[in-house]
Amino acid sequence: MAIHTPIDTVRTPVPGGPPPGTGAARRLRRRNTLAGWSFILPNFIGFAALTLVPVVAALALAFMEWNSYSTPEWVGLDNFRRMVGSETFWTALYNTTYYALGHIPLTLVAALGFAVLLNRALRGVRFFRTALFFPYITALVAVAVVWNMLFNPDAGPVNQLLRAIGVDNPPGWTTSTTWAMPAVIITSVWRDMGYYMVLYLAGLQTIPAELYEAARTDGASAWQRFRHITVPSLRPTTFFVLIMLTISSFKVFDLIQVMTEGGPGRATLVLSQLIFREGITQGRFGYSSAIAMVLFVVVLVITVVQFQLQRRGER
Amino acid sequence: MNRHTGRMNRHLGRVLAAATAALVLVTAGCGGGDEPAVGDDGREILTIALWNYDSTPEFAALIDGFEAAHPDIDVQPVDILADDYAEKVTTMLAGGDQTDVLTMKNVTDYSRYALRGQLASVADEAADLDQSKYLSLEPFNLDGDYFALPYRQDFWVLYHNKALLADTGADLTSLTWAEYADLAKQLTTGSGQDTVYGTYHHTWRSIIHSTAAAQSGGDLIGGEYGFLKDRYEMVLDLQDAGATMPWATASTQKVQYHTMFSTGQAAMLPMGTWYAARLIEEKKAGSIDVDWGIAPLPQVTEGGPVTTFGSPTAFAVNNKARNSDAARAFVAWAAGPDGAAAIASIGVYPAYSDETITETYFGVDGMTNDEVAQAAFQPDEVVLEMPVSEKSSDVDVILTEEHELIMIGERAVDDGIAEMGKRVTSEVD
Repeated sequence: MAIHTPIDTVRTPVPGGPPPGTGAARRLRRRNTLAGWSFILPNFIGFAALTLVPVVAALALAFMEWNSYSTPEWVGLDNFRRMVGSETFWTALYNTTYYALGHIPLTLVAALGFAVLLNRALRGVRFFRTALFFPYITALVAVAVVWNMLFNPDAGPVNQLLRAIGVDNPPGWTTSTTWAMPAVIITSVWRDMGYYMVLYLAGLQTIPAELYEAARTDGASAWQRFRHITVPSLRPTTFFVLIMLTISSFKVFDLIQVMTEGGPGRATLVLSQLIFREGITQGRFGYSSAIAMVLFVVVLVITVVQFQLQRRGER
Repeated sequence: MNRHTGRMNRHLGRVLAAATAALVLVTAGCGGGDEPAVGDDGREILTIALWNYDSTPEFAALIDGFEAAHPDIDVQPVDILADDYAEKVTTMLAGGDQTDVLTMKNVTDYSRYALRGQLASVADEAADLDQSKYLSLEPFNLDGDYFALPYRQDFWVLYHNKALLADTGADLTSLTWAEYADLAKQLTTGSGQDTVYGTYHHTWRSIIHSTAAAQSGGDLIGGEYGFLKDRYEMVLDLQDAGATMPWATASTQKVQYHTMFSTGQAAMLPMGTWYAARLIEEKKAGSIDVDWGIAPLPQVTEGGPVTTFGSPTAFAVNNKARNSDAARAFVAWAAGPDGAAAIASIGVYPAYSDETITETYFGVDGMTNDEVAQAAFQPDEVVLEMPVSEKSSDVDVILTEEHELIMIGERAVDDGIAEMGKRVTSEVD
């Protein structure tokens, strides 16, 4: 299969260059092609070595049994059969979905809400924008440790506050199978919303002020302006935010690893943790790769569906 | 060639040269080289993966002693946080790490690494040991081969704060678990931040599981866990009575057992013999002031043989070690009489033991050596913390998950024990 680069397709003669079709023109085109590849190659080598090869290797490993030392052994669909019969896998898949269904909408709503709120000339608006963005650039381990302390069931400020406002039996948070996942979701929303707020702020800047002025003249309320101007105008930004949030939610690992290590019990065990546990800890790289493939397919399907919905919405 | 094309060619040449150079550098960086590493001073570099180097004095004692005996070798510690040690080493090995010597924190990790082929055989070094004076070599026997040699033999004892226990008149040489629980309740004082707990149980499940298995003859990988019931009920009762810090608090706050005991927040502490060395060192340095003692671990019934559980700590040679010969020399030295003398002199109980070593150990400045302590160091039986098996690692994950649920009160003891059995039977091949 021939590879066409944008440079190949350029047929327009360079001003002052040789006439098209001559040997000199062909040499120039070859040099241009080489120049193009020389710019692409370093990036492509990095991508191939660090992403493409491991992904292809993982796909192959999903059908093998391998402990990273011995020779890989072809086992066909055994890893997938094992996965389907494993209660732990289904628990991890459920928890991953639970996390995503909590994290995606809450982050999106919080980010959009704060962006709309801080997209006006208020005193101290820059301070608030920075304050909201700050958690995103804070070390994740620090975030997890601090929130663990805040969520401490006995002496943590969260439960102290709840008791102060009359909640007699506040949740056990990370020490409760019911509340551990909500605690993780709250922490991750708090951490991520600043970043997505900045994206929304950028999107809001692109909406022409005339639209709001015209709507105001027609007597539209603030809610109507938000619903009929802001939300539709932000559709491309929302789509991007949704895609990014979906991908990051399904592969969440570090926050949960530090906050709960998947516990208590298996209450916050997610697929990426199971991949790590089965591969790195237990040395079942084949089985671990099979789970990774499932995670990949889940994320791919959801992303493709989102793209389709977006296209349909644009028509 | 016009000026534009000439500039383009020169530019292209530079870009390609830079790209080639970058590629060569990356390729060179990827290549490891199998030659033993040698330092600027010409000494061979021997790397050892270990944990908390600054607060685990035995490592410095062993490294200094070995370097003195082998002046041509420069030992360099690869320091890892104790809590993350197993995970970190597992990840390192999976990535083909070439650290020469790996410390085996427990036999579960040992069996995992050894059965995966990540450790080199040290059967020849094991054969050279005087086994009549050597404790705990047997757990490292995997089908007649050895992949690590223990240098330290720990077993669990009961640490106590002599000042806090002074008025109780308790006979600590022969406590039963029931008496221990009563004593813990009796010793608990204060409230809120000022609480002094009668005892502190760290978050490890071994405090319940391994003591119960050792003293009741239970099998932790067998799938039948009824023997855990009594011990769970006792520990949960102590939690409910406020005589020990709740598991949930200790876990979420990542409480350090050393802090609880050395600052007088807990009067008793079931813990391994390794802890004595840290108490001696810090007390000598003046950073802690606790008047500590050691007693035998409480037993199920009074008057019978004293049974406790333990776990030897060992050194292994990485199968991909860059300096395999020096690594073998270190492992053999640390496991033998010289290594034993080095750690006994700082209050760590070695795997190799004879009269001289025992004398050295109890003669350490700052070591508690009263009658109760002497009794604690002579248990009748030390049972391995977890049996060495291909299943150990998988069973460990299940038992830990179910243990958490019981300790936070989300699962009743009977249900939790039943679930452990069910899962170990159905999920472990």
